[in-house]
Amino acid sequence: MKVRLGKESGILIVLLTLFVALSFISPVFLAADNLIDLVRTNVVLGILAVGMTLVIIIGGIDVSVGAMTAAVTVLLGYFTVAFGFQPLAALLVSIAGGTLLGLINGLLVTAIRVHAIVVTLGTLSIYSGITMYVTGGAWINNLPVEFIEFGRIRLFGFLPIQILFLLAVVLATWFMLRYLRIGRAIYAMGGSPVAAERSGIDTARVQQFVYAYMGFLAGVAAFVHTSIYRQVDPNAFTGFELQVIAAVVLGGASIMGGRGSVWGTLLGVALLALIGNGLTLARISSFWHKVIIGLFIVTAVSIDMWQRMRQERRMAKIDVMG
Amino acid sequence: MDAVPFVRMQNISKTYPGVKALDGVSLEVRRGEIHALVGENGAGKSTLIKILAGVLKPDPGGRFEIEGEPVELRNALDANRRGISVNYQDISLFPNLTVAENITLGQDAAGWFGRVKWKDVRRRAQRALERLGVELDLQTPLEELSIAKQQLVSIARALSFDAKLIVLDEPTSTLSAGEIRHLFQVIRELRASGVSILFVSHKLDELFAIAERFTVLRDGKFVGCYDREELDEARLISLMVGREVRYHRQNRPGYDLGDAVLEVKGLSKQGHFKDIRFSVRAGEIVGLTGLVGAGRTELAHALFGLTRPDAGEIRLGGRPLRLRSPRDAVRHGIAYVPESRQLQGLVLNQSVKHNLSLAVLRRMMNRLRLLEPKREAELARNSIARLGIRPGQPEMQAGQLSGGNQQKVVVAKWLAAAPKLLIVDEPTNGVDVGAKAEIHRLLRELAASGIAILLISSELPEVLAVSHRILVMRRGRLVGEFDGEEATQEMIMEKALMGEPLDDAPKGANAG
Repeated sequence: MKVRLGKESGILIVLLTLFVALSFISPVFLAADNLIDLVRTNVVLGILAVGMTLVIIIGGIDVSVGAMTAAVTVLLGYFTVAFGFQPLAALLVSIAGGTLLGLINGLLVTAIRVHAIVVTLGTLSIYSGITMYVTGGAWINNLPVEFIEFGRIRLFGFLPIQILFLLAVVLATWFMLRYLRIGRAIYAMGGSPVAAERSGIDTARVQQFVYAYMGFLAGVAAFVHTSIYRQVDPNAFTGFELQVIAAVVLGGASIMGGRGSVWGTLLGVALLALIGNGLTLARISSFWHKVIIGLFIVTAVSIDMWQRMRQERRMAKIDVMG
Repeated sequence: MDAVPFVRMQNISKTYPGVKALDGVSLEVRRGEIHALVGENGAGKSTLIKILAGVLKPDPGGRFEIEGEPVELRNALDANRRGISVNYQDISLFPNLTVAENITLGQDAAGWFGRVKWKDVRRRAQRALERLGVELDLQTPLEELSIAKQQLVSIARALSFDAKLIVLDEPTSTLSAGEIRHLFQVIRELRASGVSILFVSHKLDELFAIAERFTVLRDGKFVGCYDREELDEARLISLMVGREVRYHRQNRPGYDLGDAVLEVKGLSKQGHFKDIRFSVRAGEIVGLTGLVGAGRTELAHALFGLTRPDAGEIRLGGRPLRLRSPRDAVRHGIAYVPESRQLQGLVLNQSVKHNLSLAVLRRMMNRLRLLEPKREAELARNSIARLGIRPGQPEMQAGQLSGGNQQKVVVAKWLAAAPKLLIVDEPTNGVDVGAKAEIHRLLRELAASGIAILLISSELPEVLAVSHRILVMRRGRLVGEFDGEEATQEMIMEKALMGEPLDDAPKGANAG
């Protein structure tokens, strides 16, 4: 059978080109320190983007990811300050908090039945409002020393522990999409909600699951983020949802639903990271980063639409009995 | 009456890959004439109207004249400018805009920089309504009006375009008797002012009440154009259905039927169907036919848990069934192959393999509740072989298959679920003749394996080809029941067009 050159390979080519170019432009780039640091600073983006991939595959969107993650970092901050740091307990608290917020999103989306962008725009405001009210906008700086120590762990002496979380999330999600019934239901629902429902799939349950899973990953991300930055800034994730969505879209997921993959999203994250890192190394003002990332997104989406149109023309069917 | 007709179409054809939707059709509408266009579902009326409306282009070789001048319509706007206005069945107006805006939208009521000249808009709208002899508040949003009044707005819109030919596609299907009378009065007044009307309808009594001439289509071919005086209802029906039998007929199962799988009693849903009573036995193919809009699909939806009936009982295998969702139906062993398979039956951007396993994912799991790719591959292989799905590539996207093969995938998907009752809605709509025969063969095989099949179809030859028993619906009621072997197209068509509801006394398989 012929191997189709998917969209993932397109972005892979861009990525490799960028990689090679950067290693020529800046001698620092290929240094192991720079690369490892690059990965570490993008772990949070990666985790959230993996969750967002599922949301986008089912044809939804969750603009409250940033607010959810911020809310969980605050929860986690207060919890560890009050009870001390115990890795498992802290992680569980984060996950529970995130899942709860995500589940609320899912329940609202299925109950109100308006587009998810409206619902999550509402919860974005609610979650971040509550976060602000509770913290008064103040940072939490007095995290237990054990937490800070935990964040510094490097496996085998070089691999930051945070990367392990990203790996686990990626593998678990990939496995779920491929080998669990829910994974198939997610793709089916994104491709055609009507056909999915008529095949006996409970589409409301699928949506609730996906939004809850997004929340779950926001919990994981909050934990990882705090372990990296060693303090809690309630404003740290303001506007972060745009980067998350951008990574997923760059990774080839279709905003109309039905298409997307964990690997593609990882490539999207890597692309965003490389662009950012490259521009920094090239000493280009960080204000330009947004412009350039925006150009990449518009280009990627245009290519997606163009391919879609071409495919539809190929699939043009006989429509006779009007 | 002028010698030159307003519209003259001769030898008009429209070919799609594999299907000839129109084959050498003629149509002539005189000025100030009310002309009826009739034919069964799928006879080509809609295609012809779309050509008239400029939406479709005919194959080269035909003649299309407006007021004696050959034309080649580029698009709908072009047709409008030439004085042709088509009012489709589903009124294509803007529910959120006002009556005045709907009537005048798209005309040059705009001034400098696209400023809307509201005074002008209202004046034009008012004038159009006056010509119709209708009084409506110009500022009312359209969605607040009844369907009948929306229809009048739609006609007023045509008039404000200065239409000389107004095409009405099934205009009375959702109107009450009083509203129909009013519409007819409006139509007659329009004719008096020189406007031609092309009236497309299944309601023969109405056509005989209003139309002067009839153009009859059958299977995309031109049957003839007749004056009203030449016709009566029986003659018209026989012209519509013709006599040819296109498919191999097989109306005896050749094995003993099992017990009743599906029993429906007194099933009603306000506005859709009423007092439906029938049964389907194991191994039996029951054809359910009637005109589009007779309530067949709505009935199927109720049987699949997509809508909830207001009253009545559904029994499956003797046990009463309360269906709240399609999931319930699937769980109880009911499968539904919907009319629009592209939207409702398949996930087009997924592979054939994954579509096939979608309804039976539970069975694709191993002991660890993980999906077993080997089982899915096996299912795909078997289905492809059993149904002859081509090309036989499990990894191919479902959307890339032809219509007939897509349909086979949908059927195969439900076969995998081993249903007790299979409901198929217009299974051969838009598939080519060869694939049709294959799907018929498949339905027979499925029935022989003990599945009860309810076949919903508008295509009488198809219903006649495979049904052991035939039910006819009209306006939401069951109006006829025939033994498959004894039924003819004429018998069914007559019931579908004019039949009265069957009385509620129980009927056996041989009634009718």
